[in-house]
Amino acid sequence: MSEKKMARSFYEASARERALGLVDPGTFTEFLGPRDRMVSPHLPVLGEAVEFDDGIVTGIGKLGKRPVFVISQEGRFNGGSVGEVSGAKMVGTFRAALAAYKELKQRHTEDFDEVRPVIAVSFETGGVRLHEANAGLLAHAEVMDQIQDAKGKVPVVALIGSKVGCFGGMGFVAAAMDVVIMSIRGRLGLTGPEAIEQEMGKEEFDAADKSLVYRTTGGEHKYILGDCNVLVEDSLDAFREALAVAAALPYEELASWNRIGSPEKVREQIELVKLAAELNPADSRDVWRYFGNERADEYQDMTTEEFLAAAKRREGAVGR
Amino acid sequence: MNKEPICWDTLKKDKEERLAAAEPLTEQGGKFIPAKNTKKLLEAVIRPSDRVNLEGNNQKQADFLAEKLCQVNKSKIHDLHMVQSSMTLDSHLKLFRKGIARKADFSFSGPQAGAIADMIMGNEIELGDIHTYLELFGRYFIDLMPRVSLIAAYEADRNGNLYTGFNTEDTPTIVEATHFKQGIVVAQVNKISDELPRVDIPGEWVDFIVEAPRPFYVEPLFTRDPALITDCQILRAMMAIKGIYAEYGVQTLNHGIGFDTAAIELLLPTYGEELGLKGKICTSFALNPHPTLIPAIEEGWVKNIHCFGGEVGMEEYIRARSDVFFVGHDGSLRSNRAFSQMAGHYACDMFVGGTLQIDPYGNSSTATAKRVSGFGGAPNMGCDARGRRHCSDAWLKCGEGSPTTTAATGGMPRGRKLVVQLQETFREKMAPGFVEELDAWKLKENAGLAIPPVMIYGDDVTHIVTEEGIAYLDACGSLKERTAAIRAVAGYTKVGLAADPAQTKQLRSRGIVRTPEDLGIDVSRANRELLAAKNVRDLVEWSDGLYHPPAKFRNW
Amino acid sequence: MALTELAFTFQGQLGNTIADDWSHTGVVGSGDLEVLMEKKEQEGHFTVRAVTPVRGYDEVWEKVLAKFAAESGIGDVSMEINDNNGTPFVVSLRLRQAWKKAKGGAER
Repeated sequence: MSEKKMARSFYEASARERALGLVDPGTFTEFLGPRDRMVSPHLPVLGEAVEFDDGIVTGIGKLGKRPVFVISQEGRFNGGSVGEVSGAKMVGTFRAALAAYKELKQRHTEDFDEVRPVIAVSFETGGVRLHEANAGLLAHAEVMDQIQDAKGKVPVVALIGSKVGCFGGMGFVAAAMDVVIMSIRGRLGLTGPEAIEQEMGKEEFDAADKSLVYRTTGGEHKYILGDCNVLVEDSLDAFREALAVAAALPYEELASWNRIGSPEKVREQIELVKLAAELNPADSRDVWRYFGNERADEYQDMTTEEFLAAAKRREGAVGR
Repeated sequence: MNKEPICWDTLKKDKEERLAAAEPLTEQGGKFIPAKNTKKLLEAVIRPSDRVNLEGNNQKQADFLAEKLCQVNKSKIHDLHMVQSSMTLDSHLKLFRKGIARKADFSFSGPQAGAIADMIMGNEIELGDIHTYLELFGRYFIDLMPRVSLIAAYEADRNGNLYTGFNTEDTPTIVEATHFKQGIVVAQVNKISDELPRVDIPGEWVDFIVEAPRPFYVEPLFTRDPALITDCQILRAMMAIKGIYAEYGVQTLNHGIGFDTAAIELLLPTYGEELGLKGKICTSFALNPHPTLIPAIEEGWVKNIHCFGGEVGMEEYIRARSDVFFVGHDGSLRSNRAFSQMAGHYACDMFVGGTLQIDPYGNSSTATAKRVSGFGGAPNMGCDARGRRHCSDAWLKCGEGSPTTTAATGGMPRGRKLVVQLQETFREKMAPGFVEELDAWKLKENAGLAIPPVMIYGDDVTHIVTEEGIAYLDACGSLKERTAAIRAVAGYTKVGLAADPAQTKQLRSRGIVRTPEDLGIDVSRANRELLAAKNVRDLVEWSDGLYHPPAKFRNW
Repeated sequence: MALTELAFTFQGQLGNTIADDWSHTGVVGSGDLEVLMEKKEQEGHFTVRAVTPVRGYDEVWEKVLAKFAAESGIGDVSMEINDNNGTPFVVSLRLRQAWKKAKGGAER
């Protein structure tokens, strides 16, 4: 127990600690850091506290020779919500990565694969910041656009394992990325648990049943289904290592890791929806069993290592 | 002398009549009542104005019987006098709203505190008294004997023996007080078995048994998620461990409920270890099975724990750690609230708890102006045990420092229990933890109580720990000095701002007030990295998978 | 509705400043705050600008900051705080943590 506890938890880490921890030590340079004081112009009008980085840490670091463009959301500030400034910082970082790609592609004709940039987004958000919803929504659309622009150029990696999880519009954004890396503590979805309960009733979905919430939106479920490519231990080191592996994947393999992006992938997703309708599962565990996980009931109590050894994934789920 | 012959066994005859009235409702004249007959059973054995005990505390609840009691015909049963540990369920209040019950003597109301205050003010509840658990239990044997008690157990066998196991809690006390005063005991059980894991209550003491359609309700009240522990709580925990636990060498103690004490429990294997305190402090507890104590148990700090009640999810862990807990031959925990309260009162050197408000005299209360929340068990532990005669180093050391205590007995050597309050100077939304006058005074007026409900009286408190410092009230020579010491640690509250800086300085120089710096504590180290477990999942890992937290705490 | 802006100046020790040009600590979570410190030659003065949604505690802010200033002797530093309902103690705890980190010249 004690030895494992020494590893720094990704879940416990702040956005800045995560940003720093995802790249080689001493290599991180922040874009629009606290000293630039780029705060939300909307929150003060409403009497709401502001943060100098508007709840998002953006910047560049390195993994070996490879530049890593990092975007890291802070769930403790306004639930990690995306507003005008934080959204623009996300989009700007994508643009910087694409510009770097162009430059490096020209300069590194021999060894481009080693220096090919990667974009890493550490999600911790419920989506749009309601106080500045139009700007926040626009940012979602722009990021989606940037992800498409980056296809076949800069791999885009989602890292999900923080307290708030990744919900709302940002759930779509994460799902559209090339690679999704999660820990079993990470959660990914569209509508948050409380909103589902409110709409569908406690009988259908009890948001207070944390265990239910986790097996519906958590890393294990997403890994079995293939929404998550790689499942790692809850530590900064484990996320960084998985990021390094994903960043080095050849384009063809990256394309196969995607959840969308080709007619085949779309057909696959439609088949999944069909299957869900046929199965009409009462619980995620029914789905896990369907994919051959006889010990489904034990999964939530397993360590990451035990789970990875036992879990059987949906055919078509790709990752390492 | 010509006098009427006195009848000396009216209670016995009355009981026989009631039992006879219930006989047709039983299965073949035995103790077992089909669940569908429960309401009729209650109507047969309860009479208007009876004193009725409805078992329930901050853990298990005889909730099925409570609901059935709400359904009885009001023309047959009314004006009941409820005597019960807790009034926490909706059904507990419904009895009064429907006019089935009239008067209440209780101990704890928790989530219903606001509603109860309203009902007292609206004359829907005639308030007897608000008690601590132990004094209420005492009164069950003196002037509040239950005529009928409705209790809860896990299992019954064919002879009516009950298995209350892990959640034995108040049951032995209630049954003892009822049965041996010719009262009637009705038990709801989760199931009827051929063989019990063990017998907790002899069948002879139980008159009727109902197999409830669903298991009795249990509240996991003592589970604190380490993920919610703040840096401030960690700092106070560091201060308490170094400045009190280590200073006095406290071996035997009780921890109140809350995040501050959870932080202390989680700091033992880290900060406590660093200070070399293993084996020197915290070896024996009167305590519910707090999941946050698991790391300290696993690291060999804790040798013994006696429990008031159970805690959902700790069953298997306790079974596997039988050297530490009290278990039956079947391996499951035997809790007992009365005995544990007694142990906490007489056999423990220290009580550590938190509160809502403290006044400049050190009186503390969890009451707010419009909530009658009751006392539970804290005051039984959070007071000096005046009848204590056995000695321990910690007890003697605390007594030695108390000039005010010894003066009254001509300097007669005597120890004193450490009663420690951990207090945040400001809570959320800047609610002050120190006030010139407790809201308990307003509640007294609002609810028409005889006296303000004080959880722990100022003269019992020996230490107050805030982020600003520890006030060693045990060492204060005068009332004036005590108040100055309290103000000195009250931070930026109005009470604290009234402190005289010169006097504070003088108290610090005498060690009566010690700031974190005085204690040699680096405040910037107070962060979550110090916690042995940072979340519930960590606790499960510490327990080797033996702890099974309830759904609402399973954050994975 | 607007945020409260507070400004204070304390006389500190000349040159008792932070190791690097600037240093940042903390997150503006609920009940928490961030502290940004910049090295600034201003004759030993320690200046603070605090932004908070809380009203009516100007005097407490001043006392908390004055105590920190006196204990640390901080000088030639310009500090900015964004607060979201931090209690006085949380504020003083963050100040001490920020000062320790900034003095040591932490890795950024």
